Amino acid sequence: MSGRIEGLGERPVVTITFGGRQLAAFEGDTVAMALWADAQVALRQSSRNGAPRGVFCNMGICYECLVIVDGVTVRGCTTLVRDGMVVERGGKP
Amino acid sequence: MTETVDLVVIGGGIIGCSVVQHAAQLLPPSTRILLLERGPVAGATSGSCMGHLMVTPDTPQDYAFTRTSLDLWGELQQQEGGFDHNPTGALYLADADEDLELLPTLLEQFRANGATAEVLDGRQLREVEPGLAEDLPGGLYYPGDGVVLPMLACGAMLRVAQRANPNVVVRPGCAVIGFERDGDRITGVRSERGTIRCENVVNATGVWAPDLAELAGQARLPIYPRAGNLAITGHHVSPIRTQLLEVSYLRFAHGAATVDPTRTDDDVGGHAVNMQPQTNGGCLIGSTRQFRGMDKTINHALLRRSLSRAQRYVPAVATAPIVRTWVGLRPYAIDKHPLIGPWPQLRGLWIAAGHEGLGISLAPITGRLLAQQLAGLAPAIDHTPYLPARFAR
Amino acid sequence: MNARILEADVGVVGAGPGGMAAARRLAAAGLQVVVLDEGQRAGGQIFRQLPVGASGHDRIAEPPSHEHGHRLIEHFERAGMDRRHGASVWDARPGRLWFEQGGESWLLRCQKIVLAPGAYDRVVPFPGWTLPGVMTAGALQVMVRGFGVVPGRRALVVGSGPLLLPTVASLVSAGVQVVAALEASSRWRALRALPAVIGNGARRREALWYAKKLLLAGVRLRWGWTVFGCEGDGRVQRAVIGKVDRAGRPRRDTARAIDVDVVGAGFGLVPSVELGLHLGCASRHDAARGGHHLVVDDAQRTSVAGVFAAGEICGIGGAEVAMAEGELAAAAVLHELRGAPIDAALRRAVAAERRAADAMLAAFAPMPGLHELASPDTIVCRCEDVTAQRARAAAALHGSSLRAVKMGCRAGMGPCQARICGPSLQAIANARPDEVMDRPIVQVPLKVVRSETIVDAPRD
Ligand SMILES: Cc1cc2nc3c(=O)[nH]c(=O)nc-3n(C[C@H](O)[C@H](O)[C@H](O)COP(=O)(O)OP(=O)(O)OC[C@H]3O[C@@H](n4cnc5c(N)ncnc54)[C@H](O)[C@@H]3O)c2cc1C
Ligand SMILES: Cc1cc2nc3c(=O)[nH]c(=O)nc-3n(C[C@H](O)[C@H](O)[C@H](O)COP(=O)(O)OP(=O)(O)OC[C@H]3O[C@@H](n4cnc5c(N)ncnc54)[C@H](O)[C@@H]3O)c2cc1C
Ligand code: FES
Repeated sequence: MSGRIEGLGERPVVTITFGGRQLAAFEGDTVAMALWADAQVALRQSSRNGAPRGVFCNMGICYECLVIVDGVTVRGCTTLVRDGMVVERGGKP
Repeated sequence: MTETVDLVVIGGGIIGCSVVQHAAQLLPPSTRILLLERGPVAGATSGSCMGHLMVTPDTPQDYAFTRTSLDLWGELQQQEGGFDHNPTGALYLADADEDLELLPTLLEQFRANGATAEVLDGRQLREVEPGLAEDLPGGLYYPGDGVVLPMLACGAMLRVAQRANPNVVVRPGCAVIGFERDGDRITGVRSERGTIRCENVVNATGVWAPDLAELAGQARLPIYPRAGNLAITGHHVSPIRTQLLEVSYLRFAHGAATVDPTRTDDDVGGHAVNMQPQTNGGCLIGSTRQFRGMDKTINHALLRRSLSRAQRYVPAVATAPIVRTWVGLRPYAIDKHPLIGPWPQLRGLWIAAGHEGLGISLAPITGRLLAQQLAGLAPAIDHTPYLPARFAR
Repeated sequence: MNARILEADVGVVGAGPGGMAAARRLAAAGLQVVVLDEGQRAGGQIFRQLPVGASGHDRIAEPPSHEHGHRLIEHFERAGMDRRHGASVWDARPGRLWFEQGGESWLLRCQKIVLAPGAYDRVVPFPGWTLPGVMTAGALQVMVRGFGVVPGRRALVVGSGPLLLPTVASLVSAGVQVVAALEASSRWRALRALPAVIGNGARRREALWYAKKLLLAGVRLRWGWTVFGCEGDGRVQRAVIGKVDRAGRPRRDTARAIDVDVVGAGFGLVPSVELGLHLGCASRHDAARGGHHLVVDDAQRTSVAGVFAAGEICGIGGAEVAMAEGELAAAAVLHELRGAPIDAALRRAVAAERRAADAMLAAFAPMPGLHELASPDTIVCRCEDVTAQRARAAAALHGSSLRAVKMGCRAGMGPCQARICGPSLQAIANARPDEVMDRPIVQVPLKVVRSETIVDAPRD
């Protein structure tokens, strides 16, 4: 299971919504990392065959982590969370 | 070692591939057909273009030419598929009221050819295409157009050819460097990998067709590269599902007025945006027109103009991720008609080139007409407007 | 619209060790410097920092030898310059860098450019590598060291080269059980790297630190093993592992399954050359240095006037090389702008670090046989879902070059622009495992940006 490493201090908490569900994240998290810590591993669906895809490079190279934030497709691993952010899975609806 | 074949097709773009396909289908299966391509198959214009299958209704001849070709595209989809064929229909969009004047004429042209098309107001437009801007005054919908992915279509044509005729050989990475002749007839071609004896050779080299003509000792053909800038968005769900184009396109793209290919300014022939949904969820955005030789560097000013026009029609494009941009070179024939048929001054030399911005749409009919002439069969439609003889001295 | 235009003496791309070393030295000499980096914090790939605000130990799983790296970050962050994070450079010309930051379109005008964009992981395609939970070794490190997130419970680490050790160390620090750590290269091949490690103080201390860390955690590195495939329903749940021969070819008879919930794979690094190629800089192919890399002279000058390069973009070499090259690049810029002489000791340092790095990496040069891991229906191009079989059919018809394979099946044409599949694409498509990838075909935008960023780009 995923989660957080203990003892790294407290960062301010923000709330984001993913696929209609609310979850807590820390300020400074990327969307991809906040979702991973919440055990959400499938971020986009392949636009050709619908298969789930998740974080692969975690450094902005591969575009496997595409999610839709406020209607705009972005890389989950390079986009920081914001309180109240609404995130949807990328790719095929 | 000298190789001997019956037919050499030079150029592995969409036109050369279609010629190979139809020759394989119409000539006896014992015919040895060799495709020689300097680089990769679909590596030049046919891999750097859009894939709008477009019916042009300007005249009955134009309509028959394009419509027949699109029907052949449908047949290829049935036979083979695998090239993202998508019967999207097309929306011709008016930006301002002055563009609205173009719509009734266009509608009339479609109707005169027995085709269905509809003029739509702004609200109806958004029923067809919900992503369109709210303030568009209107447009015209023609359901008969479609979209393909041209480079994959080249492969599909060659696979069909190889199934129809086991003697089809495709040789990428092998340029033609000369011709062998005996008096007024061709006896072979010289390639980078040796001489090939053959009696019939098709020059299907797009913007290089004049060079190949010269190589064969003939006058340069009046075909000029006309550059277009393109951009493609990433895999987010495409903001559109229909092939979109500005109706003002009609003022210059296929209309009667010819343009001067020696002018290199940005605006020769005008500018209109064209947007195309991709099956992978991307959106292809084009496409500008400029004469500046073989230069394939991006013209940023023109690219920006295309993108800002696209944003004007489909506001969601503004935040769409752009993955790549590039330039393709359309083979523009000086009188706006492609060259399809024999070259009268050198027996055995055939031409299939000069399709400007409609080569994808017209590839199947081009291959069919040329193969019919090679086989001595009756042409599918009147082919005389396209005979290269009009440029012979 | 406000014209978002910056002016500076020097524009530096990348805030990893190479870029930081160059920028700090330039700023200390009084030049106006702008640093552009896509990441959220300075440090690049190796010196990862947790997000601002995290306290306690702000570094996870880093050997003491990284101390000077973190001192470099401190100096860098204190030096007077314009540091821009979350800034993606998408177009460039000598003296001009266009970038997107926070959805805004910017232009930096500068006299000199220093490129230090680093590298990215090389992953050889294998069945199941597209399942969520299978990721690059680097991705796992970023997760743990950059964000303090726990990757999973049971991890498999596979690949080749010196980066497997820090990956395992990160996982161990995060409390993850490393079920297996598999190095594809053979122990004998790796022994060749030993002199280079022992002969270099920093490398020796680092290797010992990692060795101890692994020992304490009870993780044994297995040589000559790799992953044959991953399986799972919606995410990775099992991996099949086995032995490979000296060329990297899987020995199927040795296969066995293990239960895991996260897999990190890293078969070396690929230099991030796109920006340099776009600027017209000359490049060279060297398999041991990660493939295509920029060619620089003895003062880090590329073949294009006014453009300098440092770090992995000049060939994989690691942080020590990057820092030395960053210092030298800065000295060369100062020489051109101010006439300051270039200290010969900087040149010697670069040469010595490169020698040590080359000797070490030679032992982990790519193993062509690993390309046989992909089965016909394994996806090779993740962006366009192109399978090995389709890539082969494309090569057979369209030609063997990178461009031909792309045209024949659309592989490499998605948003990653072949950064992930490129290094393996031709080898797999042509069924010639040791085939070398053609030089990447680059085009703007060098990083994916919004349409409006291009439309609004300030004119130069
Ligand atoms: C930006 C843009 C957008 C377009 N959009 C559309 C559209 O939406 N719909 C549409 O219908 N059309 C469109 N077109 C037009 C269409 O792309 C072209 O008309 C068509 O691709 C031309 O095909 P071709 O086979 O003649 O040329 P090419 O594809 O260029 O093929 C010619 C081949 O000949 C080869 N060759 C040259 N010299 C030699 C030699 N010596 N030996 C061997 N081989 C040689 C070349 O390498 C090349 O592969 C567009 C074009 C552009 C540029
Ligand atoms: C994922 C990963 C993990 C690594 N872990 C270790 C490790 O633990 N130990 C070790 O010794 N070595 C590690 N390395 C090796 C590492 O590459 C070097 O040690 C060192 O970081 C190289 O320094 P650099 O300055 O060349 O590049 P980097 O440190 O990679 O820095 C390059 C920076 O440039 C930015 N950048 C790139 N392109 C652009 C652009 N177009 N616009 C804006 N910014 C851009 C990147 O975001 C990055 O921050 C790792 C490498 C990778 C890829
Ligand atoms: S995981 Fe690769 S771009 Fe985000």
